[in-house]
Amino acid sequence: MLSLSIREVSLALREGRISPVELCQKCLKRIKKTHHLNAYITVTEKLALKQAEEAEIRLRKGVSKGPLDGIPFSVKDNFCTENIKTTCASKMLKNYIPPYSATVVEKLFDQGAVLMGKTNMDEFAMGAGSTDSAFGPVRNPWSYQAPYREQSEADPDNDWVITGGSSGGSAAAVASLTSFFSLGSDTGGSTRNPGALCGVVALKPTYGVVSRHGLIPLVNSMDVPGIITRRVHDAATVLGVLQGHDVKDSTTTTNNQSTLTDLPEELDLKNISVGIPKEYHAPGLSQETLAQWTRVANMFEEAGAKVEQVSLPHTQHSIVCYHVLCHAEVASNMARFDGLEYGHRSEVASSTEAMYATSRHEGFNDVVRGRILSGNYFLLKQNYDHYFVKAQQVRRLIAEDFQRVFSSGVDLLLTPTTLSDAMRYTDFIQEDNRTRSAQEDIFTQPVNMAGLPAVSVPTALSSRGLPIGLQLIGPAFQDRKLLALAQWIEQRVGFAPIRYLGVTGEGAAGVDFRDREHISVV
Amino acid sequence: MAASSAGMSVLLCNNIKQIALFYPSQQRQSLCVIRGIYTPASLCQSKGQIKRKSAPKELVGVVGLEVHAQIHANTKLFSRAGVGFQAPPNSLVSFFDASLPGTLPVLNRRCVEAAVMTGLALNCFINKKSVFDRKHYFYADLPAGYQITQQRRPIAVDGTLTYSHLGGPKRNALVTRSVRIKQIQLEQDSGKSLHDDLRGQTLIDLNRAGVGLMELVMEPDMTCGDEAAAAIRELQLILQALGTCQGHMDEGQLRVDANVSVHKPGDPWGIRTEVKNINSVRNLARAIDYEIQRQVGVLDSGGTVQNETRSFDAKSGRTVAMRDKEGLQDYRFMPEPNLPPLMVYDHCSTVPPGVHPSQVVALEEVRAQLPEMPSVRRAMMVEAYDILPEHSFTLMNEEGLMDYFESVVRETKAGPRKVIGWVMNVLLGLLNQHSLGVSQSPITPKALAQLLDLQETGLISSSVAKQVFQELWKAPGKTARQVVQEQNLEIVNNSTEIHRICQEVVDTHPEQLQAIRDGNKRVLNKLIGLVQKETKGRADPVLVRAILEDMTS
Amino acid sequence: MRWSTQINNSKVPTVATWEPVLENQLPPPNEVPADLVDKLERLALVDFPNQEGLACLKKSIRFADQLHVVNTEGVEPMDSVLEDRALYLSGDAVADGDCADRLLQLSKQTVEEYFVAPPGNIPLSTRDRAMLKCSASKLEDTSIKTV
Repeated sequence: MLSLSIREVSLALREGRISPVELCQKCLKRIKKTHHLNAYITVTEKLALKQAEEAEIRLRKGVSKGPLDGIPFSVKDNFCTENIKTTCASKMLKNYIPPYSATVVEKLFDQGAVLMGKTNMDEFAMGAGSTDSAFGPVRNPWSYQAPYREQSEADPDNDWVITGGSSGGSAAAVASLTSFFSLGSDTGGSTRNPGALCGVVALKPTYGVVSRHGLIPLVNSMDVPGIITRRVHDAATVLGVLQGHDVKDSTTTTNNQSTLTDLPEELDLKNISVGIPKEYHAPGLSQETLAQWTRVANMFEEAGAKVEQVSLPHTQHSIVCYHVLCHAEVASNMARFDGLEYGHRSEVASSTEAMYATSRHEGFNDVVRGRILSGNYFLLKQNYDHYFVKAQQVRRLIAEDFQRVFSSGVDLLLTPTTLSDAMRYTDFIQEDNRTRSAQEDIFTQPVNMAGLPAVSVPTALSSRGLPIGLQLIGPAFQDRKLLALAQWIEQRVGFAPIRYLGVTGEGAAGVDFRDREHISVV
Repeated sequence: MAASSAGMSVLLCNNIKQIALFYPSQQRQSLCVIRGIYTPASLCQSKGQIKRKSAPKELVGVVGLEVHAQIHANTKLFSRAGVGFQAPPNSLVSFFDASLPGTLPVLNRRCVEAAVMTGLALNCFINKKSVFDRKHYFYADLPAGYQITQQRRPIAVDGTLTYSHLGGPKRNALVTRSVRIKQIQLEQDSGKSLHDDLRGQTLIDLNRAGVGLMELVMEPDMTCGDEAAAAIRELQLILQALGTCQGHMDEGQLRVDANVSVHKPGDPWGIRTEVKNINSVRNLARAIDYEIQRQVGVLDSGGTVQNETRSFDAKSGRTVAMRDKEGLQDYRFMPEPNLPPLMVYDHCSTVPPGVHPSQVVALEEVRAQLPEMPSVRRAMMVEAYDILPEHSFTLMNEEGLMDYFESVVRETKAGPRKVIGWVMNVLLGLLNQHSLGVSQSPITPKALAQLLDLQETGLISSSVAKQVFQELWKAPGKTARQVVQEQNLEIVNNSTEIHRICQEVVDTHPEQLQAIRDGNKRVLNKLIGLVQKETKGRADPVLVRAILEDMTS
Repeated sequence: MRWSTQINNSKVPTVATWEPVLENQLPPPNEVPADLVDKLERLALVDFPNQEGLACLKKSIRFADQLHVVNTEGVEPMDSVLEDRALYLSGDAVADGDCADRLLQLSKQTVEEYFVAPPGNIPLSTRDRAMLKCSASKLEDTSIKTV
């Protein structure tokens, strides 16, 4: 039941094959069974059951709130949820309980969706592994599945692989069947990256289509709420609910999107032109990912689409550009965390500055502090033109690269999402956070620079038994078209997601799991 | 306007020393005497230079102003929390104002209109597209660690503020000047810190945090405190007429910082200091003049002026250096990513299709709705009432005085010129003496009008009228007529009676009579005075003069 | 499962089409004097024990220097993708605020209806900063990375 798509399980609810409360309880049980993954920071058990009961009452009366009524979901812990702890995986906000909910969360509640919990992430969304959290790293559920386990003799607790990041908890939750969908955030690939590594569908909508009110920001000019699901159609459903102008967010657009939640079932590719940006064969791209890329490109071609190689010449500089702009915005956005109005406050009280400095020191991890320092450097008057403005210029070049290609008749671009499948945690942490981020985000963050929509779709398992995903990039506001093509791929690649395997639910390898006590259950 | 006397004497001494080098000793005396009458008022001659006879090129003041005007609106610049004075602490604070993570700014249309109106009234060029920036610094009353402002491309630039002040040797000639407005930008106000020294802590109230401000930057086109004060006064009147800011400095609705430096005309500008903590127009003038003198003193004694921020201490009339910022501040300006560019349009018809009217601020429409500006009103007053520009200026300058004047004119038979004299000299004089505002005047326009009518109809003489005025001031409940009756102040124009008194005076003052007959006509006034004294001022002055002239011819 | 790369007609390039920027392609690194790090730490109110801050910063700057191999002559800087959109203007009706309780609840230290800060804005003294660095290094040792 848990591995069904949203559409399927919604039908099951309406047909009475399962009740919302039963569904909720199954998910909660599954969360407990998979707590070794550390996907959740907070499990909202009481609230979930309450919401499920309400959904059940509605169901009996025959009044549904919509396609998401009664559907269990989770939300990355950088989205504010009223009266529910929202930590951003940081000591700074360890006990922060927001007095309001993000617009997207409210919309989902209005639709009757059932909140399972707040998912784990890299602290303040800084990272590409979901390994730098105050609550410990997130483990990729595929580490415990047969395809991976069959090749390893090592103790699974020592050779587990990362989820990618920073929305690793959300991707893990969806992949391990504890949520039917999850909200992540995407600034440089933070939704698509873990989406690809965890074998799930990850959508980054066009900038301005989904409200950011209540999303604790990393880079305001690039952040977007991301949607993680197991099926492309589910992503379209959730997008349909979330999209729209929000007066509380001045960066949302009043551009009228199509409100259809259904994607076309059949698609004729003869009028579609697919671009293959050659710069996306970057140094370090794994052979297997390259093979998948080629495979799908050929599939498009064989189906009658026009497939051509195109060029986005500034691609390789995108990551540096992102580095400067991201750090600068981070330096600015983090300035509010001083312990005075909320958040961690140190005991030091000799002066305001001293209190601020120690609170920030105690509350932020190295990664965050490093970015703040670096960002402030780039914003200094003497450096502003040389670094910040320069980066803004490169940003325009990157955006123009995309514009040029899309206005030359190309409908969308096909690229890899990540360089390879998921790395082992022990290998990943050999390099510092910034280096890793620079490497891992290479295919995903140019899209954030330009504000375009992109989706990652799992296509196959690697020889290590771990998922590989491919990315589709579209012109601004063409999210729906993008998803339609993603669905086309999904229907043909034959990717087999994790299935719920029986009562014990441990998976074929029957691994023993250690209890974790630091997940709070509310 | 008081430069501190300490500063003055330093200036005196130094200059005397200088002059001693060039002039022989016997002339030193007279030069000192000239010095002795050197007053602050002469700092601002019409050319703005310190005029001194045969003195070498002297240091003159260069003054620019930075004004923060609180926008008169229901809600704040980027949040819909209310705006108010003296509300319970932290009750006018939204989640955004408290910088709760995840909250975003939403611009208040009213603030945009206010800025555009103010810009148009000050002849500014309105930028059709302006942008917002973040200015970073840490302070307890700045929750987000940055202020949203418009540093790169503000909403209005390149304007002019024309103002007048009473200058000249007698300070009664209207001098009109102008100061360039560099720009007007929209920005957030900060919260308030209350220092609790007893418990060694600072209490933070964020009610004011996020309130919309217009920052107006005035170029250093002014030369002294008087000019700056006059410019600010005019700005207050304009803002109040527009309704975009209530302009009360004592309530913090209008805050002014002065940038002051000195230089020799023709030379490059000197190092400037910033003077803060000025809470009234009068103190603005005092602070600036003190600072100019202070800098002149520093330079004259061979020192250099430090580029620093100084605080004005109203009690002593001096500026004091504020705590050094320890190394240089760097605000690390960055574009505000949560706000797309602010667009204003020329005309409703130039708006692109699909844009809702609530989203449109159009210059032509705003311009068409601008209310009457003070300068226009003043000119109209001169026209309508045949009064002098100086009169009109003073009327406008004193809050409520113009309305008072017009009310009196309406209700009395006396002509406006007569009323002007009464209002500007008699009433205003008394009000100033008692430190009262026009609204606190014990004598209402109606009462004054009645008094003037009594004079006009010849019932009382002009000197009696002044007496009655004083009486009414003390006993506001009474009418002029009552006072006149109670104290028997009616004019005496019984010619027999007056004749008798005049004769008596003439008879008892033979020397004066002879002086007049010898040609010294001014002595007549003495005799007139004696007659009036006899009649307790009630004698018809015209009659008295006529009779006396006759008697002494 | 393995997927072989189809050789004929593939539009996907078979080899990497660019190489990372080399150190020697970059202009010489800027000096980062220690007092600049100090100033930054004060402006940003974050700091690092010992030389870590400096090292971290240098790496970041060096990485950013790669921008300078890109020719951006005549290119207009891009603030954000919203540059062609107009800013939403809200009406002036009161709809927020009046929630002092909820706000004050979030803070660790309040007095009556006020937030509380330590006295004044006394700049960080050298002594305080040295203390900060000491306590920071202690914290580093105890931070846990669970495996």
